[in-house]
This record gives sequence, C-alpha cells and structure tokens, in this order.
Amino acid sequence: MTDTPDFRDLVGDDLTPEERERLERVHDLLVEAGPPPELPPALIDPSRQLDAPVVQLPRRRIGAVIALAAALALAAFLGGYLAGQNGSEKFSLFHSEPLHGVGAGRSASGTIDIGKLDSEGNWPLKLIVHHLPAAPKNGYYEMFLTSHGKIAATCGTFAVHGQSATVRLNAPYDLRRFNGWVVTMERPGSPAHQVMLTTA
Amino acid sequence: MKPVSANEATDGELIRRTGDGDHGAFEVLYRRYSRPVFGLALRRLGDRGRAEDAVQETFASIWRAAGTYKPERGPGAPWLYAVARNAIVDRGRARSEPAVETPEEVSGELGPADRAEAGWTTWRLHRALEELTPNERIVIELAYWSGLSQSEVADYLGIPLGTVKTRTRAALARLADVLEEELG
Repeated sequence: MTDTPDFRDLVGDDLTPEERERLERVHDLLVEAGPPPELPPALIDPSRQLDAPVVQLPRRRIGAVIALAAALALAAFLGGYLAGQNGSEKFSLFHSEPLHGVGAGRSASGTIDIGKLDSEGNWPLKLIVHHLPAAPKNGYYEMFLTSHGKIAATCGTFAVHGQSATVRLNAPYDLRRFNGWVVTMERPGSPAHQVMLTTA
Repeated sequence: MKPVSANEATDGELIRRTGDGDHGAFEVLYRRYSRPVFGLALRRLGDRGRAEDAVQETFASIWRAAGTYKPERGPGAPWLYAVARNAIVDRGRARSEPAVETPEEVSGELGPADRAEAGWTTWRLHRALEELTPNERIVIELAYWSGLSQSEVADYLGIPLGTVKTRTRAALARLADVLEEELG
C-alpha cells in the first residue's frame, strides 16, 4: 500500500517522549516490513509438517477428495444425466461441497453447488456463504480451486454485504485435476490470499 | 516450581521441549513462526509453491534438530531464523529454472548484508505480531495494510474511534515489548 498511516493520528499527543520514541520505532518497522502473508491451506495445520517435506492431505480430506473424484468421474460418464432443481433459477445440481471457516473467517460457513458440465467445458458453480465479514475498502473475495493444498486456479471474484450471499461462479477446468476449494479475502496491493473458507 | 505452559514459554524453552519430542511445544512454535517463515521464504524465493516447500522443510528441520539447540549460546529466535534461512537457501538452490546472471552494473537494490538485516528485522516484526490479541491485531492490519484511516477502521469494526486509538496504542506497545524482551 502507498498509504502510510500518520503516527500522530494513530497514537495521539499524550505520550511521554520516551514512549513516543519507543512506539514510533515499531511504527517505522510496520511500515517497512509490510504485512505477513496469510498461510496457504496446506500450511495451516502444524501436525502436517512433522514428518514430511511433501504435503500430505489429512485423512478426512482424502475421503472427501476420493468422494468428489468419484462423483466427477460418474458425471463425466453419464454426461450430466443427474440433474436437479435448486431454487427458482435453472441450475442443474450435480454435487455439493461444504465449506468451513478458518482464521479470520472461522465464524463463516458455506456451500459450493456444482452444476452440470456444459457443452463448452464449464462447471457452473453456485456459492452460498454465511457470516463472511465485509471485505476492507477496495477488497473483495475470490474462490480458488486447490491442488494438494495449494491455490491453483481461480473460479471468480465476488463481494459480500450481508450475513449471507449467493453468487454464481464458474470453473472452466477439468475438476479431476484439483482436490478442493478455498475462498480468500483479497486486499488491493497485497499479494497475500487470506483463506477464509476451505473444503479441507 | 510452577510449570510454564507452552503458550507462555520462551522460544528457547519451546525448542528445548521440541527436542524432547513434545508435539505441543512444536505446535506453539509453529503458530508463532509459520507466517514469518512463509513471509521470509516468499520474499527470498518469489514463488509461493517453493515458499510453501521451504516452510515445510524448515519445520521438519526444527523437529529433527531441536535437540542440538544450546540455550547458553543465545535465544531461540536467531536459531530458528538460521534454520529457516538454511532451508530457504536450499530450496533456492533446488530451483529448476536456469540461474539469472548477476548484472555487472552497480544496482540501487540492497546488497546481501542489507537484505539479511532487512530479512531479520521483518522476521522479528512478523513474529511479534503473533503475540497480539485478535482485537489488537485487526486494528494494526487495517491501519497499516488496508489503507483505512482511523475513522474508517472504527466504522469498519463498528467500535468508537477512541477504542480504535486505545487498541492501536496498546498493540504498538505490546509489539515494542515483544521486540525488546523476547527477541533481544
């Protein structure tokens, strides 16, 4: 960010000279250092770092991944035979993935409804989220597919202004190449992807 | 003597416990240092995938080598920084792309010593941020890295402006304490 906060505006005028100097050193460090990056999903759980330099999926994720892969393979085989109705708009539901909140989004939850694969190779997505905090000024949310816990491909961006939101997104990919989804908060000028919701 | 909980223990004490195979101590170390390590790796390697690998290698190394840590040689933070730096250097060497040739002209960028100093400073600051309460941390993040004024932070969080200023000042004071006392 180019906006550097004014130290006097932050702390006021009623500090002793010693305390002012002490806090101003920290202020200068904060400006100089910039924000720490948010941890990617693969690094959130410390128990996964003990044994392996290679990312291991937690057990319940493996089950979910296998289930999703099997479901997607079935969808490809049936050519989207399975179709359902969800709400008043036409959306042929094929599969749903629950999302749970992590970090600053730990109170949030959500569901990704995956629609029927269209003839162009698009998987229509309907994302339903609850209790996501409003993004900061000029910020927004983004949903990504992940591969072995790492952010791999975007499915689109969106904003939230209430307790719940439903947005239409799209995944023009072969979903069998991926293992899960995350929803991140994106801040302008920051390369960090702050994970708020995950299927992991 | 009252035993010190892992959350209250110094870095050096946590490393010592980790060397004894204490998973809880390792997890506290991980919570304190995973983001600083990831930040350092990201700045040095410039690639999220390799940075993630470097974090995993760092903590695998900490788990394996914690028994070799000697408290009498210094506090834990520099030891952890050295382990992370080595893992990141190793990950950098392992990159498959051809190395970029060193330019012959003098550049205005930081030299190796300056980069090392900047890396250590940022590392300490990011480590200290982990000691803030969520209420303190959010006001710092919004004020410094989201471009919000204090009034906008108050609106965003739905709290009085005075509370934002109080929390900001408390957060800066806590950071100063951690930087001075814990990390030396």
